[in-house]
Parts: sequence; C-alpha cells; structure tokens
Amino acid sequence: MIKKCTSILMLLLLCLTMALPVFAAKTGSRLVDNADYLTDAEEAVLRNQLDEISARQEMDVVVVTIPALYGEDITAFADDYYDENSYREDGILLLISDFDRQWAISTAGAAIPAFTDAGQEYLVSQFIDSLSDGQYSAAFETYAELCDEFLSQAKSGTPYDRGALPKEPFHAISSLLISFGIGLLAALITTGVMKGKLKTVHAQAAAAQYVQPGSLNITEARDMFLFRQVHRQKRETQKSGGSSTHMSSSGRSHGGSKGSF
Amino acid sequence: MAVLQEYKCPCCGGAIAFDSGAQKMVCPYCDTEFEMEVLAAYDTALKEEPTEEMNWENSGGSQWQEGEAEGLCTYVCKSCGGEIVAEETTAATACPYCGNPVVLMGRLAGSLKPDLVIPFKLDKKAAKAALKEHFSGKRLLPKIFKDENHIDEIKGIYVPFWLFDASADARIRYRAIRVRKWSDHHFDYTETSHFSVTRGGTLAFSNVPVDGSAKMTDDLMESIEPFDLSEAVDFQTAYLAGYLADKYDVDSEQSMQRANERIRKSTEDAFAATVQGYMTVMPEASGIRLQKGSVKYALLPVWLLNTSWNGQSYTFAMNGQTGKMVGDLPVDKAAYNRWLFGLTGAIGMVLYAASWLLWLL
Repeated sequence: MIKKCTSILMLLLLCLTMALPVFAAKTGSRLVDNADYLTDAEEAVLRNQLDEISARQEMDVVVVTIPALYGEDITAFADDYYDENSYREDGILLLISDFDRQWAISTAGAAIPAFTDAGQEYLVSQFIDSLSDGQYSAAFETYAELCDEFLSQAKSGTPYDRGALPKEPFHAISSLLISFGIGLLAALITTGVMKGKLKTVHAQAAAAQYVQPGSLNITEARDMFLFRQVHRQKRETQKSGGSSTHMSSSGRSHGGSKGSF
Repeated sequence: MAVLQEYKCPCCGGAIAFDSGAQKMVCPYCDTEFEMEVLAAYDTALKEEPTEEMNWENSGGSQWQEGEAEGLCTYVCKSCGGEIVAEETTAATACPYCGNPVVLMGRLAGSLKPDLVIPFKLDKKAAKAALKEHFSGKRLLPKIFKDENHIDEIKGIYVPFWLFDASADARIRYRAIRVRKWSDHHFDYTETSHFSVTRGGTLAFSNVPVDGSAKMTDDLMESIEPFDLSEAVDFQTAYLAGYLADKYDVDSEQSMQRANERIRKSTEDAFAATVQGYMTVMPEASGIRLQKGSVKYALLPVWLLNTSWNGQSYTFAMNGQTGKMVGDLPVDKAAYNRWLFGLTGAIGMVLYAASWLLWLL
C-alpha cells in the first residue's frame, strides 16, 4: 500500500514537472527559448548581446518564448515570470507565446519610466513585422538594440515618450520625389500664369458692368428649411505621455503592454 | 444725297479730319479748328442738299471675275477724281490717291444712321505706345517677336455696335446647405441642414454692347470692353472724317442672342449673391424672362494693329476711348521649357534641402 502511494506520488510529481516545463527553465537566464524559435548559434549570439547590454546598463533585458499560455493572461504571466526568476530589480522582459500568437512586455523598477507607453508602442512597431514574418532572430536583435538605446536615452534624463520618440531614418528617395513633385506643380502654376499673360482675348461671360445701379429689385425671397442630418464621430482621445503601471500577483508594480502578431 | 462726303476747310479748301486730341475738326493744312456744333449745323445743311442718285459706278464690272466684285463698290474721289474701291460695309475711309478722308454717306443714312458715337480720344501714337507696353513684362514672349516686330498695319476704325437695354425678370430656386459643427466629450457632431431657397425679382441692364460687324471677332471686341457710354454723343458724320468706319452687317436680332446670354449669366450671378449665410448654394431651377428694351446703334472707336511673325498674323485691338489693349501673343516654347524645368529644379532642391534640415533638427 505504501509502495503504491509512493509510486502515485512519484507519478504526480513527474506529471507536474512534465506539465510545467516553462517554470523549469534556467532561472535568471536572459534568453529563454522554450518555443524553440532560434538555432543554438542564434541563441548564443542573442544571449551574449542581452548579457552585454544588461551588464552595461545595469538592468536586465530579457527575452522569453513559450509554446502556449494555456489560458493564462499574458501580462500576468510576463510579470510573474519576471518576479519569480530572480532577475534584477530593474529590467524589461519580452514574452512571446507561440500558440496564442501574442506578445507582452513587462517592465520593472527603473525600467518602468524608461519604457513609457508611447515608447513601448514605438519599440514594438520596429520589430512586430519581423515577428509576424517568423524572423525571430532579427526581431529579437532589433528589440535588444532598441532596449539599449532606450535605456541610454532614459539615463540622459528624458526617456523616449510621446512627442519625443526616436527619429525615423531620413527617407531620401521619397523626400526627393515629393520635393520635386511639389516643385513641378509650383513650376506648372507659375508658367501657367506667365502663359496666361500672353492671352488677353477672352469672351465676356457676363454683363455685370452694364447692370443699372440700384436696379436689383428682389420681390420674392423665401428660405424654406427642408430637413436636417446629424452625423457624429467618436473623438480621438489625446493620449498623454508617461508610463502606466499595474500590480503583479506578488504585489510588485510593473509597466508593460501586450498585443498579437 | 451725297454719296461721298468730304469735309473741306472753309478757310483753305483742304480736307479736314477729326482730331482726337483737340476733340474738334482740324484742318491739317492751315491748322484751323472747327467746333463740332458748327459741323452739326453743317451736317443738317448737307442733308438739305438735293438728293442725288446713288451714282456709284459698278463700271469695272466686265473687268472683274465672276463673284469677285461682290461686296465691293467703287466711288470717285471728289478731290482728285481717283477711284476708291471699298467694301460693301465701309462707311468711312481715305482716298488711296490723295489721302483725303471720305465718308460714304449712303452707308449711314436712313435706318443705317447710328444713334450714338464715341469719338476717338486716343491717337495712333498712343496705340503704338500701348502695343509696346503690351509686349513688356511678358517673359514667355519670344524675344525675336519683340525685336523684329514691325506693325504691318494700324488703323483707327469706328466699329458698329448694338447697345441693348433690357430688363430681366427672374425666379430662381436654389438648394442650399448650412453646416454646423460642435463637439462634446465623446463625439464630434456635424449637422447638415438643407434649405430650398427662392429668389424672384427684376434687374435692369443698359447698353450691353454686341459688335455688329462680322469682320470683327466677338471675343476680341468683348475683350476691350468697357466703353464709357456717358461720353457718347449724338452721331455726326464729321466724327468719322480721318478714320475708317464700317456699317453693321450683323443685324440687331442676331446680335441680341449674344446680349441675352450675357444678361442671363449676370442675372444668375446677381441673384445668387443675394443668397447668403449658406455653405453651398446650387441652383436647381432657373426661369429668366428678358423684357426687350430699346436697341441703339452706335459706332465705337477701336484701334486695330496687325503684325505678322513666323508666317502668322497677330491682331491687336485697343479701345480708342480707354486705351485698353488686347491681343494674343505667341509662346516661346524653349523659354517655357527653360522656366518649367528651371523652376522645378530650383523649388525641388530647396524643398529637399529644407526637408533634410527639418529632419536634422
């Protein structure tokens, strides 16, 4: 009987460890690729990059991928993962759930003001396309580089925020095309005016100058209201800058955002 | 009735002509000036002369090809006896041999007698100066056109015009829209109110001019408008001396068409201007009745200048009263392309540099 109980207990324990492989991942590691997105070589490169940035910025920059959420809320999962895996007080974690096609960012400590809501929106916009296309290595590399940039910017005292986001690269060709397009339009108008000066013979459409002064006599003037249409459109609420926060299950304050890819 | 009318100077017998500067008849030989009132009396005296047969001779008929003489008439100059060939519509011209101004009275008699005339106020010199001015400040005018330009012909001509008085009785219905916008905390509202607007009433026009000469293009004559008809005087043939003049060959019934179009448009404009306080106003139905007023026949002063360039002839017209000069000019294609590409390049470069600087900031 005792033997049976022990074996059942052993089985249960085994089941538990098997069912939660996510929690069994390497603790404290800055790259946890449980969804197996990256090759070993890619993993090594990215881990080095994350470690180097984390060491230099004195904040943890973490990437975690999981196969599925199994119904858990992705934000809570990300927050808890950060809290429970002995990372530093300050850091940022990017969580990707493969099955759910969802992503979440969780920030903690000094990383909360460094990654403002608008900043995170911008950060994600820079790698979401690579993520959707399955170019995970490129996406994570962009993420790591931008985290580095964001943290350096935050150290200067003014973190990237609404109205003060990183500069888009200068689009030389489209600027050139637009500039010369406007140039051509302006030149056509100017030369059109110059051409118009050469043509002075025009038939007169009206005879306004031959109206007898004061002869306009309006005897009937009726303005009849017919009907009215009201159209309403929802207002775009003006978002303010800064970082919004929430509590994780452990009672710690986190910043963050989530979405699908 | 005299067929040809020359005004002889009572002083020296020379042929006298109307002088636009002095606004009098002036003898070019002895410089004697004559008041127009005197000539009005002179006109009356002329009319009292015994009537003559219309003795213009179509004598050269056999020498003309079939149809060639149609529309041409010959007269004998009273001064030198030379033969003056004139078009059927010519009312005043000059003898090609002795240069004396002559007026063909038959063309201005009876129902053909104009009611009004605006005497020339500007002379040939002013017309030439105005043409020069007309060429200036036009960057796309071929330089060679300006440099080579010589005036082939310059003539002061009294152009026959019909002046229409009319009253327009209109009732126009519009669909008008008024838009009001406001917002609350959650929504932006746009309210579009539709109205049916009706305007009825009358509008009077006086002296709407339409040129009665088929030779003159309508748009050229409309381009030199307006003429100040307050300066018009009762017609006297003496004003025509020294200038060319045509009689009308498009009658008032035909010309009325054109006047009506313009009156209709102006009436619509004037009524539409009374519909105010709306964002858009679209006419839905328009009923305009024109009540015919009087029609006057007037001779109005026009300087015509002709020039040719590259095998093409260019006609310019100047209002002989106000000096307004019009006439289409050729475009220098090379200069046009230079300007077009030059401006595109310059503006494009500036904008590109500005966008780059803006990005740097």
